[in-house]
This record gives sequence, C-alpha cells and structure tokens, in this order.
Amino acid sequence: MSQRPSTGFRTFRAITTVMMVTWLILPLVPLAIWSFSRSWFFPNVLPSAWSLQGWEYALSDRSGVIDALWLTIGISLGATVLSVLAGVPAGRALGMYNFRGKQFIELLILAPAIVPGIAVVLGIHVVFIWLGLANSIFGVILVHLIPTLPYMVLVMSGIFANYDPAFEAQARSLGASPLKTFWYVTVPAIMPGIIVGALFAFLISWSQYILTLLIGGGRVITLPLLLFNFATSGRNDLTGAISVIYIIPGILILILTARHLSGRSGAVGGFGQI
Amino acid sequence: MKTVNRIALATTLALAPAQLAWADTADGDALIGKPWEEVVANARGGTVNWFMWGGADNINQYVSDYIGGLVKERYDITLNRVGLNDTVEAVNIVLGETEAGVTDAGSVDMIWINGENFRTMKQADLAFCGYTETLPNNALVDWDNPAIANDFGLAVDGCEVPWSRAQFAFAYDEAATPTPPKSMPALLEWIKANPGQFTYPAPPDFNGSVFVRHVFVHAAGGADNVLGPFDQAKFDEISAETWEILNDLEPHLWREGKTYPNSITALQSLFANREVALYFSYEPSGFGVAVQNGTFPETVRSFGLTDGTIGNTNYTIIPANSPNKAAAMVVSNVLLSGEAQYEKAKPDVWGTSPAIDIARTSAEIQANFASIVRHPSVVSASELAKAALPEMQADWISAVEQGWLENVGR
Repeated sequence: MSQRPSTGFRTFRAITTVMMVTWLILPLVPLAIWSFSRSWFFPNVLPSAWSLQGWEYALSDRSGVIDALWLTIGISLGATVLSVLAGVPAGRALGMYNFRGKQFIELLILAPAIVPGIAVVLGIHVVFIWLGLANSIFGVILVHLIPTLPYMVLVMSGIFANYDPAFEAQARSLGASPLKTFWYVTVPAIMPGIIVGALFAFLISWSQYILTLLIGGGRVITLPLLLFNFATSGRNDLTGAISVIYIIPGILILILTARHLSGRSGAVGGFGQI
Repeated sequence: MKTVNRIALATTLALAPAQLAWADTADGDALIGKPWEEVVANARGGTVNWFMWGGADNINQYVSDYIGGLVKERYDITLNRVGLNDTVEAVNIVLGETEAGVTDAGSVDMIWINGENFRTMKQADLAFCGYTETLPNNALVDWDNPAIANDFGLAVDGCEVPWSRAQFAFAYDEAATPTPPKSMPALLEWIKANPGQFTYPAPPDFNGSVFVRHVFVHAAGGADNVLGPFDQAKFDEISAETWEILNDLEPHLWREGKTYPNSITALQSLFANREVALYFSYEPSGFGVAVQNGTFPETVRSFGLTDGTIGNTNYTIIPANSPNKAAAMVVSNVLLSGEAQYEKAKPDVWGTSPAIDIARTSAEIQANFASIVRHPSVVSASELAKAALPEMQADWISAVEQGWLENVGR
C-alpha cells in the first residue's frame, strides 16, 4: 500500500505545498498588520502609527466577538456532525447504486450549491417560521445543512464510487456483525472522504451570513455577522483583528487534516466521479 | 438513510424551541393614546431587538452602552442591538415573517431606517403607525418642518420617529489641496483641471448616488425643479444634460474614469491613500471620526457647496409585527429626549445632528448643545444648513440611479 513516491512526485508535492502556504499565508499578512495599525497610508510599506485598538475592541466584552467565536464553533461543529450523519448514507446510495430518478436526486442535492442563496433565502425563512425553527440556534444549525450537504454528499459519493463492497462481504463471511463490519471495514476505508467532506461542511457553515441572520432573527450572533458589519465600513483595524480571530479555526483545522488531503489512501483509489 | 432521517426528524421535534413567554404588546393600537405611565408599565421587563447598520464602532457603542444602559436602569428594558450590513436585510426579515403569517410575533422590534426602505415598509403595511403622538418627547419634534415630516419626499404619517439629521459635505486635505472648489460649477471645472484627482462611487452606492443627484440638481437649475412626484418628461430633459456633464468628466476622473469605486468605503481608502483629493459623505461627523481613529490625516477639513448640498433625516421605525411595541415605544421616546440627543451630538461620541428642535428643550440641554466643540475636520451643521437642498422622492432617485448605470457606468 505504501510505496515510495517517485522524485518527480515529491518535487510536485513540495511545489504545491509551497504554493498552498503562499496563497494561504501571504494574504493574511496585511490583515494581521492592519489589526495593529492606526494610520496606514499609501505608499508606505508599513503603518505610520501602530495601535492595539483593534484588538482591544475585538477582545472586549462590548464587541461580543469572543462569545460569537464559541457560538460559531458550536454551530459549525453541529452542522458538520449532522452533515456527516446525512451525507455518508446519501453518498453511499448515490455512489454505489443505480436507481430510478437518481439523476434527479443528485440534482436536488446539488441544487443549493448551484442556485444563488440570496434567491431562495426568503423562501427558506418562511418555511423555517412555519416549522417553528426560526430565531433559535438549532434552526441555524439546520439551515446551514442546506449549503453544507451538497459538498458532503458530493465528496462521499465520489469515495463510494471507487469503494469496493467486496471488503464488507469478506468481513461478513468471516463472521463480523453488520455493525462491526461498518466500524472496522467501512469507516476506515471512507475516513479520508469523511474528513474532507467534514472540513468542507465546517468551513461553509463557518462562513454563513445571510442564512444565520434571517433564521437566527438577530438572536443568534455568529462571527460572520460581526465581521461583515465592519468589513464594509472602512475600519480596517477592527476588521483586521476580527478577521484574524475568524480565520484561525479554519487554518487550525486545515493543518490538522492536511495529511488526509493528499488524496492517497488505502482501500479507495481517491476521489472519483459520481 | 431512512434511520438517519428518522433520527434527524426526532431530534428536530425534540429540540424545536418552545414558544417563549413574551411580554406581549403586539397589539399596538391598544397602546396608542394611552397615558404614558401605562405604556411604560407594559414595557417593563421587555426586550427590544433593534436592527441597525452596524459598521461604526462609535455608533454601536452609543446604542448598546449609553441607550442600552439607560433603558435598563430606568425601565428594566433589555436592548439587543443587532448589527446589519445593509438595512434592507431587516426589512426582508419583517417581509418574510409577514408573508409566513407571523403578524404578532416578529423578531424585529425596531429598525434604523429612511428612504427606500421606509417606502417599502410603509407601502407594504409593515410599519406600526400612529404612535408618535403618544410619545411625550414627540413635543420636541418640529413636525412642521417638511424635512422632518417627509422621508425622502414620502410623508411620514406617524409611522416612524426622527432620530438624526445628516447633510452631504465634501472633505479635503488642507495640506495637499489648499483651495478646494466650493460650488458645483467650480467643482466640475476643478475636476477637469486636476485630472485623476476625483472620482465617485458607482450608484447605487448610497453616497455615490447622492453625488450624482447633486449633478442632476445642478443640471435641473435648482432643486425646486425636481421636487414633487416623478415626471418622466422633466426627467428625460434633465437627465440628458446630467449624463452629458458626467460623460464629459469621465476622462478626467481617477483612472480616466475607466472604473469607478464600488462603494464609499473604497473612495474612503482612495482618499486616505491620497490617490484622490476629495472625499464626500452624507454623514460629515464621519470625517472627524476618521481623523480620530487614524484613517485620515489631521489636516482634513470639510465644506458644503455654496449652491447647496442635499440633506436628509433618518428615523427609527417599529414593525407592525413586533411583539414588544410598548418597550420599543419607550426606547423611541428615550432616543428623542434632549439628553440622549445631546450625548449623540458630542463629537467624541458620534457628532451627528439632532433631529429634535433644540429650542424646545430645557435651558440646561440648550446650554449643553451650545457648549459642544466641533471637531476641526467637521464642517458645522449650521454652516451647512445655510445652503440645504431637500432629498427627491424615491422614484426620482431610482430613475437617476438606473439612468446612470445605462448612460454613464456602462
């Protein structure tokens, strides 16, 4: 399973790593500098005056940023867990079986990723009010599933398309229960997909603005709500400080899961087509 | 899949939020005309969810800390300020709720509003109307002033309460531009003489649109010609000249007019970076705030045009489906009080102009207002008011914005 990668492949990997880091880290540098700046005029390379005002505000009780950070983590984790619970079976069905209306179901599941959210968000709001789910944290978690599920299902169906169910049959024939088979055979094989899909789900939930505002009804204040207030107002010090806080969890998760993102794994041959 | 669905459904049902017990004052008509003590008694212990544009730290602080602290202490009202990117988001929440049949348990209790959004609320019957007379501090409002009684040309009719006044002004850096042009004809010439030093955000940006309206009024030969209801023939005539003026300017603008900043924030950055020499805003107090927080250099000064700049009033509105109308009325009343309006007018707090008639306040409040020392970067409101133009009705505004996109910004 683990053969030594060729020199060319290693060089390629090194280059992609450097590029990833460049793309990820370089744009953050001005943001971080802004968060400590007071006056920064073109064409100066560095601010002419420094200040901790942005950070003082971002970390104060008044701004609500820290409360919002914990709430956003909770909501995104909740949305991620639910996405995995719904996305793995859906991906298996779409990736491994052919059935009538499959293409229609695929289209339905992918629709939220294609249709612009702003077009449907008012309708979603009305439905959530009818269901009694508006103005609650749980309602916000549920509504985040609309944009997160397509990615989760897409990734999982790709994984299952290349998945060999013979492994499961083998385990069953050796006497493993369905639960044991699932836990010891299926889960390890699809784990890379779950991690990638969950990463997508987390980050998409993490960045929701209009769905959170409408369904949360102003009672559920997440980080994007606070951040977007300032992002359009020209206060680059406040925006910089809140942005850094906003970006850190995403980067942490990316670093923690980076080794699973290489596309190499055991039982499955990577991400195929549906 | 099925099991998962069933689990999800069960969880949904189990966790569905129980209807909270509101201090329910959804029936606003029952409050109108009641003695104020009775309204206050109904408001006690209530919560007001106030949705407002949240992009200014100083405004947020004034609302959350000062107003929030005041209503908590005096009336035991909890003020929940909900910051918005754009006011239309709150209007959409109310609209969505009303469409879904939520007519007495909405999630929005107050909105900071004017213009187009007010028109939407009023015309779609989304506003709670007729309560202004019940507020004791309504006596401080000069409803005889047409600029207060009309919100962008649309009669207020007791559907909202004025909060602040604003008037358009230009800012420049004294150190870089010692003699800025101070009238519209002078400005148009100055732009041609100083290529690349001026631009404006593309409408429908709020401030960019106001700038284009100033040119429109100039082309019309005065504001009097564009007051009243929309007139297509008049518009065609005036707009043709407006587009000619603006297209003439284009090659002399920043980047030869090939592109326009997409927001007032972008223009603010251009001005802060000294790429352009002039900046403008509907809220001149912002110039002082920008200097204080280091965005602009200390040498920034501001002015109005001798042929006038457009002014408007902004308001607070209570949606018809708010379940906390008594508490929202009490907060509205506090906002109108002399002390709250004075606090808001302090340059280190916000520095915006009061919507009340100061002459009607107590001697103490009047003295306080008189003692305010203006930030040197902010042109005085009384100076600006000497040449003030009214806002046109929303139909005119949307026609101007649309016309700009088709004839200038294409």
